[in-house]
Amino acid sequence: MNMHATPQRTQAETALVEAFAARLSELPGDGAVMVKRDDAIEAIKDGLPTRRVEAWHYTDLRRLLTSVPDHDPTANPKPLVPVIEGSEVLSLLNGVVRGKAPALDGVTFQNLSDKLTDGSFAQALDPLDADDAIGFLNTAFVSDGWFVDIAPGAKIEAPIELQNLQAGGQTHVRLPVRVGAGARATIVERQAGSGAALASSVSNLSVGDGADVVWLIVQEQPETATHLAQFNAELGKDSRLTLFVMNAGGKLVRQEIRVKVAGAGADFQLRGVNLLAGDGHTDVTMVLDHAAANTGSRELVRNVVTGKARGVFQGRINVHQLAQKTDAKMACNTLLLSDDAEFSTKPELEIFADDVQCGHGATVTEIDRSHLFYLMARGIDEKTARGLLVKAFVASVIEELDNEALVDALEAKLDTWFAEHG
Amino acid sequence: MPAVQETIERVRKIDVDQYKYGFESIIEVDKAPKGLSEDIIRFISAKKDEPDWMLEWRLGAYRRWLTLEEPTWARVDYPRIDFQDLYYYAAPKSQSGPKSLDEVDPEILKVYEKLGIPLKEQEILAGVRKEPNGEDVEAGDNVYKSGRVAVDAVFDSISVVTTFKEELAKAGVIFCSISEAIREHPELVKKYLGSVVPVTDNFYATLNSAVFTDGSFVFVPKGVRCPMELSTYFRINEKNTGQFERTLIIAEEGAYVSYLEGCTAPQRDENQLHAAVVELIALDDAEIKYSTVQNWYPGDAQGKGGIYNFVTKRGDCRGDRSKISWTQVETGSAITWKYPSCILRGDDSQGNFYSIAVSNGYQQVDSGTKMLHLGKNTKSRIISKGIAAGFSQNTYRGQVNVHRKAENARNFTNCDSLLIGDRCGAHTVPYIEAKNSSAKLEHEATTSKISEDQKFYVMQRGIPEEEAVALIVNGFVKDVIQELPMEFAVEAQKLIGISLEGSVG
Amino acid sequence: MLEIRNLHARIASTGTEIIRGLNLTVKAGEVAAIMGPNGSGKSTLSYVLAGRDDYEVTEGDILYNGHSVLEMDPAERAAAGIFLAFQYPMEIPGVATMEFLKVALNAQRKARGEEPLKVPDFLKRVKEAAASLEMDIAMLKRPLNVGFSGGEKKRAEILQMKLLAPSLCVLDETDSGLDIDALKIVADGVNALRAPDRAFLVITHYQRLLEHIVPDTVHVLYRGQVIKSGDKTLAHELEANGYAGIIEEAA
Repeated sequence: MNMHATPQRTQAETALVEAFAARLSELPGDGAVMVKRDDAIEAIKDGLPTRRVEAWHYTDLRRLLTSVPDHDPTANPKPLVPVIEGSEVLSLLNGVVRGKAPALDGVTFQNLSDKLTDGSFAQALDPLDADDAIGFLNTAFVSDGWFVDIAPGAKIEAPIELQNLQAGGQTHVRLPVRVGAGARATIVERQAGSGAALASSVSNLSVGDGADVVWLIVQEQPETATHLAQFNAELGKDSRLTLFVMNAGGKLVRQEIRVKVAGAGADFQLRGVNLLAGDGHTDVTMVLDHAAANTGSRELVRNVVTGKARGVFQGRINVHQLAQKTDAKMACNTLLLSDDAEFSTKPELEIFADDVQCGHGATVTEIDRSHLFYLMARGIDEKTARGLLVKAFVASVIEELDNEALVDALEAKLDTWFAEHG
Repeated sequence: MPAVQETIERVRKIDVDQYKYGFESIIEVDKAPKGLSEDIIRFISAKKDEPDWMLEWRLGAYRRWLTLEEPTWARVDYPRIDFQDLYYYAAPKSQSGPKSLDEVDPEILKVYEKLGIPLKEQEILAGVRKEPNGEDVEAGDNVYKSGRVAVDAVFDSISVVTTFKEELAKAGVIFCSISEAIREHPELVKKYLGSVVPVTDNFYATLNSAVFTDGSFVFVPKGVRCPMELSTYFRINEKNTGQFERTLIIAEEGAYVSYLEGCTAPQRDENQLHAAVVELIALDDAEIKYSTVQNWYPGDAQGKGGIYNFVTKRGDCRGDRSKISWTQVETGSAITWKYPSCILRGDDSQGNFYSIAVSNGYQQVDSGTKMLHLGKNTKSRIISKGIAAGFSQNTYRGQVNVHRKAENARNFTNCDSLLIGDRCGAHTVPYIEAKNSSAKLEHEATTSKISEDQKFYVMQRGIPEEEAVALIVNGFVKDVIQELPMEFAVEAQKLIGISLEGSVG
Repeated sequence: MLEIRNLHARIASTGTEIIRGLNLTVKAGEVAAIMGPNGSGKSTLSYVLAGRDDYEVTEGDILYNGHSVLEMDPAERAAAGIFLAFQYPMEIPGVATMEFLKVALNAQRKARGEEPLKVPDFLKRVKEAAASLEMDIAMLKRPLNVGFSGGEKKRAEILQMKLLAPSLCVLDETDSGLDIDALKIVADGVNALRAPDRAFLVITHYQRLLEHIVPDTVHVLYRGQVIKSGDKTLAHELEANGYAGIIEEAA
């Protein structure tokens, strides 16, 4: 993946190559899958991406990934209470499916390990491009996952929560989800754990014509974990996807979001909240393709950075030549709360169609002093006042979600984070 | 051959009839062989009568350059340049220009007419050859050959040039060619050359450091407000500054200077590759304004030919409360790779970047700026207007970086793109990096097309379609135009209209 | 001056027919009011007259001083003397109103083979026109229509009309968004321009404007056709009884 020949493998690269040799015999997959795994590890042997690779400009994975733990077969994470009460929970513990899938009308669940061996999945493991480091890592090591298939027209009321939990070691899972035409569903992708793990997770969502999907990614890894995740989605005609991403943890986190608005009249909404503390590095990188006419998108990402944390948001909107009448707007706003906090953002527009309205805005600021003064003049102490303002800054993103239970659940998460880091 | 005379020779070579046929390098006299080597660099340095330290500087750059690779990150696509297939020094034969405007490509003359350029000036721009009368005139540090190079055509008389030279000298301002400065003011050149754009900076800048042949030098001493706008346009002997131009401008404490580069009229130039370096240094309370109108040959309607313009321009706000402004109107060149930047080192210093980039035909523009906030209370402002038409690709690439110690840094960025037609592309790639919590950075960007409603409204008042588009586009770029010196602004507006001709309908 | 014969026009992108066999004649010196309910095709008619290419004429003709204008683009029609006062005048950022007026005036003069107006003459005309409409000259230094109130925009339209001195003035819902004082100023401006060699097509939904600009003829537009014509009393009738009766009568 890295065109610049690397003279010597890093410790992490060596560990990955050795881990592959050690685990190969246990990993599921038919011949075609094994070929993909071999190709993927070869790409890793060539070196992890550095900042010279444009897509990794702010996250020099080769430098930042300093150590790689071995897979720990004894790691035993405990299932969590779902984010939204009343959700159907599907567990992935230490990288493998645990428990039985619930019976849900209109939904078929399948273990990914079965799909890896039945010859139906090899193609889905193809890398997205030559710099797809997360894809390579995941393909080489993926052990299991849930495949969720929602029938056309099905209206699934209860949220489906896919819990991917770790307790140290390495975990690599995939979450392919297909939502049929006209169907409706809410999916929660929960990424959490307790150990100094290396976790990779790749979600592939296909949204059928006219379908309406709300997808939440809630990432709360411990401050010791490396979390490399990818969310890929393709939107059919007149469909709608609302993606909400909350990052509130992890030592080294890269969350890629790659969405292709492929059907005319489709709409994509991204709302993101990144709460960054400690000395972690969190990178949210979105590539959004408008590939059909009359499509729309809005992206709003708000970041709060404190301690020695470093944050990155890269957002690229590509408007293809056929995608006339695209209406795309992106905003990324950041509050830096401490002297050692850092944030870098790269909001890009790549436009090949002329009849479009596209824009982006980005701000990086500290808390507005006049607001702070106003609250303090009303007798609120500084710490509380700051907390109120910061919370208001991110809560406005959450409150846009049109679901009371969801808003309550996420606000509760906000409160927990502020109690700890505010 | 002395440098001044050599540049005079070069002026004579602006040979317009080749414009429509593309480019060729017919060098008949006083030339170095093709290709680049230490010997060629020694040759250039010797031709320019340079001191040893300058030669060593060049050789150092050359050795460094050999270890570098051509950058590929910009959104431009062009065939590989064979650097051994170029001439790095050529003082060509003089008798190649047209004898009168009758011999000049009528297309070019049409453009001159649209720009409202007086006949006398048209002759200079088209390189019309005048019969020599052999009269040499001493003018300050410089020797101007009148008649032979039609110096007199600019504002009719060499005395204008002389007067202006004298006035500058009286104020203590040094304004001359870089070659002359190397000989006459070595202490200043030594102190400042390469101090903003180091020899090792980037592939093209390093190449330039090894082989630069001309450019301007400006030094404004402490407390002096330069009494007039300085311009390569006036310095007629620098008219065709060649492919590796090197410009160095220094404003000492409290000094002010406004420098205009380029010319709105299309100038023929046979060099395919241009790799200029411009360095600006502003000490405490100094201000430098640098304005550019770039209208080099963009290639023909099929995208053949045209200038490759790889420029490194950087200003160093070295002193407290210093200020540097870049204003550019880019309409020419097949490839533009250009990021005029500001290093905001002094406390309370300020950097501005105002840009209009128009691309049509098969032009590719990748341009923008870098604002590096190092000092306290530094401010920067970026206003970029990109207009893409035809089959062109127009990219804004900019970086705003706030260092850890840069307390209270402020940036405002506004970059808007306008698309005319559905075969072109407009791209926006900003990098925004904050390492200090007191920073306040605001960035906004939009991409849209000229609305049919606007166009219809304007046409309904009797304004034909192309003019209607030009009018709306000029409104779109207004914020930048008003940053240009007045006389430049009017021509720049006309130029934008001309550049977009054929883009509608 | 204007003769519209069996005009059929549709929206180019969708093919929806809006004007369906419209006939109308307006003589020089005449003020003709076009009234009709929402969706009857009033604004479309004004756009088709001015030559907006979002609409396609599929049948019939528009004769202006005896010549068809269908092959002319909007700028050519404007230079020939057709002026449209827009219901919603466009905002053109960065282009000063004064500059725009000058460019437009001189473009029209050029198209007619006349010399461009000298700057002092131009300024004099603008100042006079602005004064008669009680407009502050400072406003004309601002970008065209940008940040103008609804009333200011409409006044600016009439100012342009005054300066360009067209022979056929099409006023599209000029009364919308105006308070009574502004309406009076605008109407006075129009009335001052009434002349034997100039015709007006006043498009409006309400009778209100016609109290100030008294029409010679009134035409009711419905579903893309003129279903009834009369004198100014027809407008009063419509005000009192609404469109329903006339529509029924025509059906």
